[in-house]
Amino acid sequence: MNVGKRSRVNSLLFHALSMLLGFFMIYPLLWTLASSFKDNSTIFTNAYSLIPEQWGIIDNYVSGWNGIGGVPFGTFILNSFIVASIGTVGGVVCSLMAAYAFARVKFRLSGFWFMCVMITLMIPNQVMIVPQYILFKKLHLIDTLTALIMPWFFGSAFFIFLMVQFIRGLPIDLDEAAKIDGCSKFGVFYRITIPLVSPAIVTSTIFSFYWIWQDFFQPLIFMSDTTKFTVSLALNLFLDPNSYSNYGGMFAMSVVSLIPVILVFLFFQKYLVEGIATSGIKG
Amino acid sequence: MTKRLRLPTIMAFLLSVMIMISACSGGTGNSGANGAGSASTSSKQETSSGTNAGSGNDNSDPEPVKLSIAWWGSQTRHDYTQKLLDLYTELNPHVTFEATPSGWDGYFDKLSAQAAGGKLPDIIQMDYQYIATFSNNDLLADLQPFVDNQTLDLGRVDENIVGSGRVNGELTGIAISSTAMAVTYNPDVFANAGVEAPIPEWTWEQFIDAMTRIADNTGKLGTESLIDTQTFSYWVRQHGQHLFKEDGSALGYEDDAIMVEFINMVKSLQDNKSMPTPDERAQYESRGKEAMPVVTGDAGVRFDWANFTVITAGSNPNLKLVTPPLKGGGENGLWIKPGMFFSVAESSNHKEEAVKFINWFINSKEANDIIAAERGIPVSSEIRDYLKTSLTPQQQDMFDYLNVALQYSSPIDPPEPSGFAEVSKEFIDAVNKVMYDQISPEEAAQNFRKVANQILERNAN
Amino acid sequence: MKTILMKPMLKRSRKENENLVGYTLLAPWLIGFLVIFVVPMAASLYYSFTNYNMLRAPRFVGLDNYVRMFTQDDSFWISLRVTFFYVLVMVPLRLAFALFIAMLLNTRRKFLGLYRTFYYIPSIVGGSVAVSIVWKQIFGNDGVAMSLLAAIGIEQRLSFIGNPDTAIWTIILLGVWQFGSSMLIFLAGLKQIPSSLYESALIDGANAWSRFWRITIPMLTPVIFFNLILQIINGFRVFTEGFIITDGGPLDSTLFYVLNLYRRAFTYFEMGYSSAMAWALVAIIAFFTLILFKTQSSWVHYESKEGGR
Repeated sequence: MNVGKRSRVNSLLFHALSMLLGFFMIYPLLWTLASSFKDNSTIFTNAYSLIPEQWGIIDNYVSGWNGIGGVPFGTFILNSFIVASIGTVGGVVCSLMAAYAFARVKFRLSGFWFMCVMITLMIPNQVMIVPQYILFKKLHLIDTLTALIMPWFFGSAFFIFLMVQFIRGLPIDLDEAAKIDGCSKFGVFYRITIPLVSPAIVTSTIFSFYWIWQDFFQPLIFMSDTTKFTVSLALNLFLDPNSYSNYGGMFAMSVVSLIPVILVFLFFQKYLVEGIATSGIKG
Repeated sequence: MTKRLRLPTIMAFLLSVMIMISACSGGTGNSGANGAGSASTSSKQETSSGTNAGSGNDNSDPEPVKLSIAWWGSQTRHDYTQKLLDLYTELNPHVTFEATPSGWDGYFDKLSAQAAGGKLPDIIQMDYQYIATFSNNDLLADLQPFVDNQTLDLGRVDENIVGSGRVNGELTGIAISSTAMAVTYNPDVFANAGVEAPIPEWTWEQFIDAMTRIADNTGKLGTESLIDTQTFSYWVRQHGQHLFKEDGSALGYEDDAIMVEFINMVKSLQDNKSMPTPDERAQYESRGKEAMPVVTGDAGVRFDWANFTVITAGSNPNLKLVTPPLKGGGENGLWIKPGMFFSVAESSNHKEEAVKFINWFINSKEANDIIAAERGIPVSSEIRDYLKTSLTPQQQDMFDYLNVALQYSSPIDPPEPSGFAEVSKEFIDAVNKVMYDQISPEEAAQNFRKVANQILERNAN
Repeated sequence: MKTILMKPMLKRSRKENENLVGYTLLAPWLIGFLVIFVVPMAASLYYSFTNYNMLRAPRFVGLDNYVRMFTQDDSFWISLRVTFFYVLVMVPLRLAFALFIAMLLNTRRKFLGLYRTFYYIPSIVGGSVAVSIVWKQIFGNDGVAMSLLAAIGIEQRLSFIGNPDTAIWTIILLGVWQFGSSMLIFLAGLKQIPSSLYESALIDGANAWSRFWRITIPMLTPVIFFNLILQIINGFRVFTEGFIITDGGPLDSTLFYVLNLYRRAFTYFEMGYSSAMAWALVAIIAFFTLILFKTQSSWVHYESKEGGR
């Protein structure tokens, strides 16, 4: 009886604190949501209020959805979606392959290549973007979505390193056992490793999709044709410090543009909960 | 596992890959780095040698031309500019556009990358702060020949405004709007404090007095701030000198006392609470212009450009404009400034068509019906007269203000030199250090001179 | 154990096989690396020895940029100091917080999916205009933070964002607030620990505390190592937070290294100098990363003994 009570109090405390922390965490999101329903002139004057004077003002959504210069905002979302999906799928698959090679295969120069992976992680994009622009221009990729996909598609250092760490955390005995059963290296990779590192794969997918989605600098430099703009670039088009900015439209479209990212997170995060088949590995 | 990396082999391999890549699109075979540079420098020859078919004789026969155009702005500007381009295409079916709208953030980052890649848009909306830098690197075309042969009609544009687009004697920017520094004031705040509204003849002494009384009588701020390079430039000009030397190689004023005096005034305003401290100001600046203290009725005045009341009309339609305070016995410090330019890229293959569009933009009534003075006060006097009837009250005020400002103006300084952005930051830091009581005004003035001259010298060569 | 006996016999053919397998798996990344990274990296390295404003061809100046950086440029040292401070304070705080929350969420309770989502959200709105505005409001001179201080008796009109002594802390707090991605990685790591280990520990009578230290932490060390390295690298490369919230100010107190470098490149048109700064940063980060890699044999626990590097 006593124990049950204590655990109930514990549980209550847990949820209360979690909700409180949760509120702090999502406050800016709530604020964006509230602002997206406010009249442009009151967004800043009544900035503290999370409740608009009147709900249901969808003007901001209408003006925002109209997009820029005749290109509807849906086009930008579609572009971002194409880039982020293809970039994520390619990036995660290629990263996983590379990671397995680094973690489980002894091949010549692996140390050198791993060093290269890490260096791509360290160099600031800000000095890479101009040479990259020149290169893509020579490859006739400027103003194509391919230019935005390419830098992610072949795998990125972050995910490679992440997956290397996860694969190396797996017991080697399983690999050996599978090999005795006649599995090739590829077979081990496909049948044993991939299922076991799925938490890392899920995490990488979530991150990758979001990072590509919100990337501003690359689309800014690589894209000139409005019909090929991405969401992050389009949001910037609502604001100009020296003329009349459509803050309402910008916040409304910020809300819209967060939906796919949150959906991707919600869809994939449940695989983190289930924690696929980790029992029965040892012993 | 052999650990001996054969480094030379790897390097040779990487090098050959690089060469392969940089050469694969018909480049000259040098690395990406060199390719970048040679592309941008060779742009001049490219246009004369004629990589396009119509460069020699495109003035009469309407060969199809695609003009690329880039500008910054917000949604309103993007939308009507697109309409404008569509209309132009309707009137001139052989001209189509590849339009690149942009926010202000990142606009010049992108232009820089494009310049590095050797190809800028044909028509570029250009800012006063950047025109010298781009001109000095031979990226912008001299449009004087098109003025001389009447393709571009600047007959109704004030010569001072036209001149503001000249860099080193070349007309590389055509001003498409004009503006001037202005003090925006909130009449209600003045009335509540029992302070009479400012008039164009007011002096700095009267200004300080008014600010102090607003703070004392109402507890509100007198002025939002004075600490920016434009205001200081105005201050220096009132002393009969200039912030920069003619060639932009050093500061233009000799006497540090000018800056010390300025800082002392600002500091005294901060000390008597009629001006916010730098950290309070950081708070205001985080909001949009629509919620600045002068708009919300929490401050008496704000120093900004003449279009401030137009931008904030939705939040507070009652704001008024007045010229900045005068210096007793000083000179006319104001200047009429180009709001923005259109420039034509030196690398453009369609300079004449680009200039024709600019001409239409400036002089045509149907174009300006659509623009509706959104980019600032039109430069053509004829268009200004034409638009008068259709203006909003705030736009009307802005137009009237410019006529008043003209009476207190002297010719504009040359475009801001390369390195201006960095100098500007150093100026604000120098003054703010005094505001935080870290250094004395004299030290601030000396430090600023030293650092600014270093920056300007570095950028001059 | 049979495999070990078989190894010597297979050694030669297996090694060739390993090379083939290794490079096949590595091929996609390698292609991407060679096409998209090598050339720009080489170009930026070359720019670092030139005077290059992007608008005109680069002019070779030898080591001038590096000399200027170390001997004449105060802002280089200022931004280096600011960045080191940020990394030293923010990274441990964020990791500790992320691990703590991940442990809490790695239980069987209700609404965990909801909390996970809430805590991850800062990481996906992090660089937005909204966050910049909200943050400035909270830590402004009439902001929520000030009201909270007033409530506990500290009455002072001060803007945390606008004050050179406190501005960096608001950015650090923003960094810690965005612990979501580290948390997810820890969660994924926790999920991977075989539950059988805990079960046998329970049988041995280990309490929660000793289970944490004897199983969770050792099993998690590869992930901790990853998070540590990545957070340090990303910490040194911090840009967005300083860019959108304080723009390096007030008085350069939040002038992060990459923000400084970005300004040099795109605001002041000194791409050559900026590239030199970038490669100096690579050297600094590589140095710390290398040290950490050297230490890992003493504390990072891998199930597999092969392939340690």
